[in-house]
Amino acid sequence: MHKASTIREDGLYHSFCGLVSVGWLYQKIKDSFFLILGTHTCAHLLQNTLGVMIFARPRFAVSLLEEADLSSSQPDISAQIEEIKREHHPSVIFLLSSCTPEVMKVEFEGLAASVSTPEVPVLFVPASGLDYTFSQSEDSVLQALIPFCPPAPPEDKRVVFLGSVNDAIADDFSLEAARLGIPVAGFLPASHFHELPPIGPGTVVAPLQPYLHKTATQLRNERGCTVLSSLFPFGPDGTRRFWEDLAAQFGMKVDLSDREAAAWERIKRHTDLLRGKKIFFASDTLMELPLARFLKACGAEVVECSTPYINRRFHAAELAALDGVRLVEQANFHRQLRTIAETKPDLIISNIITTNPLVGQGVVAKWGTEYCFLPIHGWAGVNALVTSFTRALERHAKLDPLGSDPIWLTGMMPSSPGVISLQS
Amino acid sequence: MRLAYWMYEGTAHHGVGRIANSMRNVHAVFHAPQGDDYVNAIFAMLDRTPNFPAMTTSVVSGTDLARGTIRLPETLKQVEERVHPDLIVVVASCSTILLQENLEIAAQHAGLQCEVMVYDANPYRMQEIVAAESLFTDLVKRFAKPQPRTERPTVNILGPASLGFHARHDLISLRRMLKTLGIEVNVVAPWGATIADLRRLPAAWLTIAPYRELGLRAATYLEEQFGVPALLDAPIGVQPTLRWIERLRELLAQAGANIPMPPLTAFSLDGMSAPSAVPWMARTADMDSFSGKPAFVFGDATHVVGITRFLRDELGMPIAGAGTYVKHQANWVREQLAGYVDDLLVTDEFQTVAARIAELRPELVCGTQMERHTSRRYDLNCMVISPPTHIENHLLAYRPFLGFDGADVIADEVYTTCTLGMEKHLIDLFGDAGLDLPEKVKAPSTPEPAPAAIAIESPKPADEPVVAVAATPAAPAPVAPPAASPAPATPVDPVWAADAEAMLKKVPFFVRGRVRGNVEKYARQRGHAVITAQVLLAAKEELGA
Repeated sequence: MHKASTIREDGLYHSFCGLVSVGWLYQKIKDSFFLILGTHTCAHLLQNTLGVMIFARPRFAVSLLEEADLSSSQPDISAQIEEIKREHHPSVIFLLSSCTPEVMKVEFEGLAASVSTPEVPVLFVPASGLDYTFSQSEDSVLQALIPFCPPAPPEDKRVVFLGSVNDAIADDFSLEAARLGIPVAGFLPASHFHELPPIGPGTVVAPLQPYLHKTATQLRNERGCTVLSSLFPFGPDGTRRFWEDLAAQFGMKVDLSDREAAAWERIKRHTDLLRGKKIFFASDTLMELPLARFLKACGAEVVECSTPYINRRFHAAELAALDGVRLVEQANFHRQLRTIAETKPDLIISNIITTNPLVGQGVVAKWGTEYCFLPIHGWAGVNALVTSFTRALERHAKLDPLGSDPIWLTGMMPSSPGVISLQS
Repeated sequence: MRLAYWMYEGTAHHGVGRIANSMRNVHAVFHAPQGDDYVNAIFAMLDRTPNFPAMTTSVVSGTDLARGTIRLPETLKQVEERVHPDLIVVVASCSTILLQENLEIAAQHAGLQCEVMVYDANPYRMQEIVAAESLFTDLVKRFAKPQPRTERPTVNILGPASLGFHARHDLISLRRMLKTLGIEVNVVAPWGATIADLRRLPAAWLTIAPYRELGLRAATYLEEQFGVPALLDAPIGVQPTLRWIERLRELLAQAGANIPMPPLTAFSLDGMSAPSAVPWMARTADMDSFSGKPAFVFGDATHVVGITRFLRDELGMPIAGAGTYVKHQANWVREQLAGYVDDLLVTDEFQTVAARIAELRPELVCGTQMERHTSRRYDLNCMVISPPTHIENHLLAYRPFLGFDGADVIADEVYTTCTLGMEKHLIDLFGDAGLDLPEKVKAPSTPEPAPAAIAIESPKPADEPVVAVAATPAAPAPVAPPAASPAPATPVDPVWAADAEAMLKKVPFFVRGRVRGNVEKYARQRGHAVITAQVLLAAKEELGA
């Protein structure tokens, strides 16, 4: 496999911690509860990043460490666990770590075990911002679920799709597999705790999300299953490779070239717009590699693809397809701004923290964060995927250029009341 | 330890960020794990900042801890190189403060040209409000210098800050009134102020600090240290605004400036009308029904006091109760609301406030974003009068809470939030007033929002987006999921007999939830386990509805 050259910087970029993945996981696993052992900071983070302000009865909460709790190295959370069971009746409780108890050296495995029962297991999920970024803790949640996937006998040769996708996407993948004659054992995670798929030596694990390498590796090591190594199923190119490689695992040679061509044809208006456009990835979701690969296939010029981490084995096929693209791990934000000023990209995919300010500097930028929960997988997701990139470009092109005059930014921000520009 | 869902106040480092992002050429650096950077998103999203918020996280990772490395000096150098600040405020986070590192020494290692201040904000002892107020006071103490007064009478305005509740609008309202009085502004801080502006604070003749949460201590310091008198009242409502102007003129007169009072019409937007329509509106027959609409008010100290008094004194509404989450201002609030509220609720636990609202079932709830949740759950009218806010509270149009203009804004909000008088008579007389719709089918159990991925693309209005990104005007204002049943305020919940249920169905749908709640409350009080038609009739008679 080709070894793409990557640059590694100091990691001084804007992002969130692993707790944020609770936002989609608690909705995916409908009978779950997510309990964070943390501080006021964790609660304020969840409140402000999860759009919480609109949920009246969330199935996540913080077991709040206050000053008096700091002296005890093993806090007692049994009262909160009982409160959760009483109020929410979950089938499973995930106990997430955070920075403060990590610094306090709380022994989480033991803490979870002390409140876990066979009826309502309490599972430890490492998610602290000291070690995990944004989407990575989904990997931790899925690892915690592995012991609850029943073992499958070696002759059970079926696929398990790996990664949380909504029910509509899951249906798409089940139907597509049936159409190709690929037997499906299920999804990890499933929508309910007791619906986890059986996994054994005959299982082919097909990752749908690019941030799940720990779970994939553990399944390979513990259950002896095969992990599909292919492109991730985003865009006509990725989807075709994904299904062809998956079918090959079941001894079938499938040619989806017509299907791919038809999919490209359907989005021609959009790829025409993207062709030759300079795109800069400054986001932090770990979805950057497959997204950049798709844009490259659309004919765009990816001037930089920054991403928190690259796993050479798990991302091997994507890295090969990204040959020639400047790849940066653990980017430095100040350096990115200088590169953006030099290369003048047409579109920047960034964290929600930096998107509005980047637009304020006169470039077109869009949220990268939403790729974690946009339905962009498989054939059905192609249109949502491509329009996610062209929508901002087309909308900005439609707006009256008069509004781009920096005068309209004057006084919008007390710390920057005057006119500003990227070069200043 | 306790189970926490929502927090009223942000963290200490958020308070520090609010001061840094209010001032020009001041930058906050958080010595913190990556996740603590989320506070940046609040500014970029809610304030829609066209520049990067003035704060940077100097990332602390697990690897750094294992190796004993500290990246703070390098981060400080990078920040100085990019934004050239006059001052950098360094603050630890809830996790890094436990490491007991010497950040002073680490900061000195950076060898910066600009001033660096390591601010000791213990996140276990202070939250957003105290952290912001203490930092701002420290900055004023550090930079304000003795100097002669300005030649003409001028005033400072202290308190408006980034992410402050309607702060920009309040500032416009204050400036408009000062302009009408012919008084110039010396310095506004922290909003838009530089360090040099802080130095000039003692040159003013008077300091205006309307908020109990921010600016109060700095104003008091300027009075004690430099003899600049302080006007600490909040002009919320018409009468308080008149008294505020009077007090302003008195204090300036004592300082030797005679400020003539212009005709009141000079304060209006067109310069020739009454400056507020509230006194007349409150006297119209339309408003008589408001004497039967009890209100519950909860929020920060400034707004709870101002709004409670406004509702009773200027609109003639009864006060069902009030409370605040700003515990260190509770005594002041209690004192200010003596005669208005008997048992002030002081708590920062949203479940406690929700329980009080469920018990009172007021006609109007004035609260924060959390009370909006609670009100949706119990089908009550709610308006937001205090932070924490949602992006829906960050509107573009001029909507001050202070001054004459503010009185009109608040009165409009009260009027449009409540169920109206004539409408209510028609409902009472004809049942549905021709407005009824088939009863909505309620979900059998606690409804959960659809998976996020669906929520984004689906046109269904009940789907709720997951991440804050989605809570922007791009997404339609989400409809709260209908609560399956209100959480019981007491252990026993009465059940509805079929005959009573049938009668309830004849109540118009948009007040049905409230009637249901009121009757259940009545039944609980009377110890009825079953609500029969007889109980319902008795309740109607008792409650007059």
